[in-house]
Amino acid sequence: MNKCAEKEVAFFGKITAGITHELKNVLAIIRESSGLMGDIMSISPEAIIKYQEKIQNSMVRIKDQIERGVGLTDRLNKFAHSTDETIAKIDLQETIEQLITLAQRFARLKHVVLKTVPLNQKGPPVTLVTRHIQLQMALFASLECCLNVMSAGGEINIGIRKTKEKNAVHVVCKGDLPVQSEFARNISESEKWPVLQEIAACLEGSANLDETEHGIVLCFPEEIGR
Amino acid sequence: MKEMKILLVDDEEEFVKTLSERIEMRNVKSDVALNGEEALKIMDEDLPDVMVLDLKMPGIDGLEVLRRTKKAYPGVQIIMLTGHGSEKDEKEARRLGVFEYLQKPVEFEKLMRTIVKAYKSKFESSMVAATFAEAGEFETAKKIMDEEKE
Repeated sequence: MNKCAEKEVAFFGKITAGITHELKNVLAIIRESSGLMGDIMSISPEAIIKYQEKIQNSMVRIKDQIERGVGLTDRLNKFAHSTDETIAKIDLQETIEQLITLAQRFARLKHVVLKTVPLNQKGPPVTLVTRHIQLQMALFASLECCLNVMSAGGEINIGIRKTKEKNAVHVVCKGDLPVQSEFARNISESEKWPVLQEIAACLEGSANLDETEHGIVLCFPEEIGR
Repeated sequence: MKEMKILLVDDEEEFVKTLSERIEMRNVKSDVALNGEEALKIMDEDLPDVMVLDLKMPGIDGLEVLRRTKKAYPGVQIIMLTGHGSEKDEKEARRLGVFEYLQKPVEFEKLMRTIVKAYKSKFESSMVAATFAEAGEFETAKKIMDEEKE
């Protein structure tokens, strides 16, 4: 067991707490929407016609929230299964997309938007043989580094850039940001930076400040040593 | 007792607006704020009797709204309604003077009962203080009102 393994539980707790919080909101909306329909129906048969629009809106809301709930449980289920095997072959782009969805709520609380960037080249998907849960921890830690120093209204783009030599994950921050040097200093002084460094090391990879853009570049080996 | 006014504060727009519709169907005035900043602004213009407040919101979060409200308007009763189940947050909310801490999704009837209870308690302490003041027990009346502020 490497030293990052003990941090996995805390990471799991943080992500599941965020998603179950969202699920509670989904259930709360469904409960109130169905309650509103019940309220109308209990007034009189005529009220059903009078408040037809409210009933229809409630039905649409319930349908939308069920979709939202299905999506959230789907992602939570996939996330839970990422511990099935300690080391597994994973699709990096899929992992990024999954993580972005799980982290969306954390960004929203800071008024920041998260976006995935499609792969810059056509071809087979980028796969890694790695510790899946720790890879997600590294991606999440890089987002946290950015979120800690960004102001409201910003955007974080995260995607793979494939070159001949390596596949790198670029976490690029946009919005009202200080000059490159100051931004880099803020990131490296943020409390999450050493955490990110530690996780990247556990994955035999690296996390560096981007020298050309406001952001972080993550590199991981195609196959981790067992 | 005057007509009750409620302020619902939550960033889940569909939830808070539907809840407001249900409350208004019961002839109770309810305003909606989608974040902490908006809630504080509404309170400066039209003070509610009871506020139903979410904990985790973008910008100023629920605990900060609770803290500021209890300082500026101690008479406003605040009910926390959240999907965030941390005991630490509940403890802090209670320390700051929250009337009740409820978990989402809450039964509407339970929420309404808590709102009415909060509203009544607001007037109960004022009425007890008024009774003491009428009897010339100004120190006791002041103490009750100070406790209410705390």
